[in-house]
Amino acid sequence: MAQIELEGITKRFGKISALNNINLKVEDNEFFVLFGPAGAGKTTLLKTIAGAEFPEEGLVRIDGKIVNHVESKDRNVSMVFENYALYPNLSVYDNIASPMRSKLYKKDEEYIKKAVNKVTEMMKINHLLDRRPSQLSNGQRQRVALGRCLVREPNVFLMDEPLAHLDAKLRHFMRGELKEMQTSINSTTIYVTHDYMEAMSLADRIAVLNHGEIVQIGTAQEMYYTPCNEFVACLFGEPEINLLEGKKCVCSRTGEMSLSIVGSDKALELEADVRNVLAQHGADNIHIGIRGNDIQFAFEDLGDEWIKGSVYANEPIGNKVIMTIMVADKKIAITCPNDTVADMDQDVYIKLNLKKALIFDGNTEEFITRHNIDSFKKQGKGVQ
Amino acid sequence: MFVKSEKKVSGEVNYNKIPAHIRRRPYYIIAPGLIILIGILIPFVTAIFLSFTNYSFRLPKWGFVGLKNWINMFKSKEFYHAVWVTLKYGILATGVEMLLGTGVALLLRKDTRYSRILKVLFTFPLMVAPAIAVLIWQLMTSNTVGVLEKVLNIFGVYNFPWAASHSTAMFTAILIDAWVNTSFVILLVLAGIQSLPKSPFEAAAVDGAGGWFTFKTLTFPMLKPFMYIALLFRLMASLQEFGIIYALSKGGPGDTLMNISLSGYINGFTYQKLAGALPYLLVLWFIINKTAKFLVKRQRFLANQAAGR
Amino acid sequence: MEKRKVSIGNILEAIGRNLGLTLFAMFALFPLIWMVICAFKSDAQMYNTVFRFTPTLENFKAVLVGTDYFKAFFQNLIVAGGAVIITVLAGVPCAYALARYNFKKKEDVAFQILSFKFAPEIMVILPIFLIFQKIHLYDTYFGLIWVYQLITMPLLIWVVRGYFEDISVEVEQAAQLDGYAWYEIFLKTLVPLIKPGLVASALLAFIFAWNSFTFPLILSGFKIQTITITALRYIASDTVHYGQVAVASTIAVLPEVIVALFIQKHLVRGLSFGAVKG
Repeated sequence: MAQIELEGITKRFGKISALNNINLKVEDNEFFVLFGPAGAGKTTLLKTIAGAEFPEEGLVRIDGKIVNHVESKDRNVSMVFENYALYPNLSVYDNIASPMRSKLYKKDEEYIKKAVNKVTEMMKINHLLDRRPSQLSNGQRQRVALGRCLVREPNVFLMDEPLAHLDAKLRHFMRGELKEMQTSINSTTIYVTHDYMEAMSLADRIAVLNHGEIVQIGTAQEMYYTPCNEFVACLFGEPEINLLEGKKCVCSRTGEMSLSIVGSDKALELEADVRNVLAQHGADNIHIGIRGNDIQFAFEDLGDEWIKGSVYANEPIGNKVIMTIMVADKKIAITCPNDTVADMDQDVYIKLNLKKALIFDGNTEEFITRHNIDSFKKQGKGVQ
Repeated sequence: MFVKSEKKVSGEVNYNKIPAHIRRRPYYIIAPGLIILIGILIPFVTAIFLSFTNYSFRLPKWGFVGLKNWINMFKSKEFYHAVWVTLKYGILATGVEMLLGTGVALLLRKDTRYSRILKVLFTFPLMVAPAIAVLIWQLMTSNTVGVLEKVLNIFGVYNFPWAASHSTAMFTAILIDAWVNTSFVILLVLAGIQSLPKSPFEAAAVDGAGGWFTFKTLTFPMLKPFMYIALLFRLMASLQEFGIIYALSKGGPGDTLMNISLSGYINGFTYQKLAGALPYLLVLWFIINKTAKFLVKRQRFLANQAAGR
Repeated sequence: MEKRKVSIGNILEAIGRNLGLTLFAMFALFPLIWMVICAFKSDAQMYNTVFRFTPTLENFKAVLVGTDYFKAFFQNLIVAGGAVIITVLAGVPCAYALARYNFKKKEDVAFQILSFKFAPEIMVILPIFLIFQKIHLYDTYFGLIWVYQLITMPLLIWVVRGYFEDISVEVEQAAQLDGYAWYEIFLKTLVPLIKPGLVASALLAFIFAWNSFTFPLILSGFKIQTITITALRYIASDTVHYGQVAVASTIAVLPEVIVALFIQKHLVRGLSFGAVKG
């Protein structure tokens, strides 16, 4: 297993730049997740490491050695492709055996048989060994692709959305298997996904990509509690974080600086540490990022700091209810206990728990601070 | 694109330039095929060169004559006649094949067992060599043994002259050309029909659109790119048709079917004035090249339009 | 009432459609049927019978026994077959490179190859004739097979390129990561995948080569004869034996019809040089 380093990687397709000055260091035995919306450049980044794409600028290092000029067959990396990339003319068995039959990674047939059996049992596809890829469902194809990747002992596993086409139950199971495998065989893995739960549950560290650039690198905790801007904050969490426009104001009661939400005249008190940072920060225009479970609600006015709104929608999703509330033309999603019942357009009052709120600059959408920020910043901000 | 990279590299190696042995690989791979083809390209350059000489198979010596061959050609009536025949034959043959082929393809559109069998059978004439096609039609049109003569006799027509008369030779040649090549148009238009998306037609049917209206506004525009490909291929081939005309009448009777290809051949070989024949053929090449470029451009435009881009 | 009206319309439409198709079918197919009929008629029957006659094999005997038509058939086979083999060996890698690699002037090279298809054959052939006489390639297998590349190579390269492009790039990248070199991938993974298309295009190229008229007319003499040229002699002689013409034509057409049946699925794609996927 090996350490992967990317240094100033830029990759262009014609005039469009797919990757722009990517710097990244994936440690030995790390499970590293690349996360971002479609078209962010995640797949291109994987392929650059695999050697299938050649970067116009920058260096790729595997275990400290520059591999830009090493062809992908000699890099000893193994990859799950998003579209599976199985050999249509070979059976499932031969597909998975393929890497062990090439001159470079040759193993004897005995060994191959054991290895294929082991991996197909884990993937629950050992009854499909004689089938052709065309005779499989998408979920089965994906598991074959995963099997072909895992059957080897490469420098690094590259996985491009390897669980995307599995049904929910199987995906959950496979997620566990991958995590388990990660700890048992000490492998370096770079894993692409656009599913935030997958990213958070699997990753040692996550890199968020957007428009070919790295937005933030950090642990799942950091992504969730101290995202570097509103874009990252919106990627993690369901329902999506609420971003409310606010302004600095002076609380009539305490005389301290506090925040008010546009469309409401209530002054919301801030914690001292947040207040201090904000006082020094020039921006007057503030966005308050607050997740649905950090908002209290009531059907009667409980006084100060309770903002009035009306129920817009109420969706039960099993173990909880997502209630959408209209406050001055702005929709706010909150999570409620699963027995919550509300009528449409009914009056409702909410209270924001500002201790948990993320404060963004309203103009740049960059993160400013949050309460108790130091407790979330233990590990620093990654390589970048 | 690789401008900035030099300073970033360590040592002598530029890691952002693809290594030479990989960069050159595609050239190695295409080299054999290209060498084989380029070997044949040389004559083309020779052709331009020789058109400025008085080269002939008869004379042992030859020299430069400048533009003489070209001037002679542009002065001769024969040349303008050849251009006229070339265009007439090309446009008529292609026109007939396009109309007939599109019509038959539309008839074949409905999927029945009969149409499925016919689709296969119709490909047979397409496989026949032009020269052999002429032989087959000799069997049909012969005044002594031909079955067509017997049919025409019923209508009181005797000894229909076919390729032997000035007035019917063009018709006969185009008939044979159409017999061989109409199927090509059928196949392409059918492929187009099969690729038509279903949903716009269902929508049109729901809206109560009539058959003709649907054809005019939906079917035809979507088939146009396919028809253009058929047109391109057929026009390019019929403008330079040689086999059918040569086998049928060697350009005769008289000079009725003397198109540029035939004139070039007759001048070059029969009269052994090779250098004099080459300008004819270079003009033909010019006409075909220009037409091809125009049609290719137009086809791309239509394909994009049909795809809604 | 309404239903009945529709079905009468449908019936009329079906009658019209099938009538039109049958008329065209007669035009397209009858000459071939007539050719086969004539092949079995004796010289005397040729003149005084139409469909009712006593079949005879005398024409076949006249064409095939003790003549050079048989020879021409095999020489044609060697020239056309040889041309296709060379084309496949040199052209398939070419098609692969044009489909997969990005290199300078790639599209120019591809279009240059295609332009051979549209170059007037006579123009190309006159200078070749001169050169071939000088370098003694006139009337040789090698010379003809080489020139036939003009017919077979552009076709094969353009059609097969399309088949390569149909295979996802990732399959190739996966094979590279599995540790295979590019030529192993090309031969063991890609070529098997395009095999049906490759075989069909090679057969189509064979037909085009088999049918070539202009090239052998000018570039071959007494030593090498192809069927298209030899068959024409049967009509050029003073007393035409139509029965023999029919036999000669039948023999020339037969292999092509058989091949056509095998490659139906790939025909449109091949004939349009890959422009229409069919």
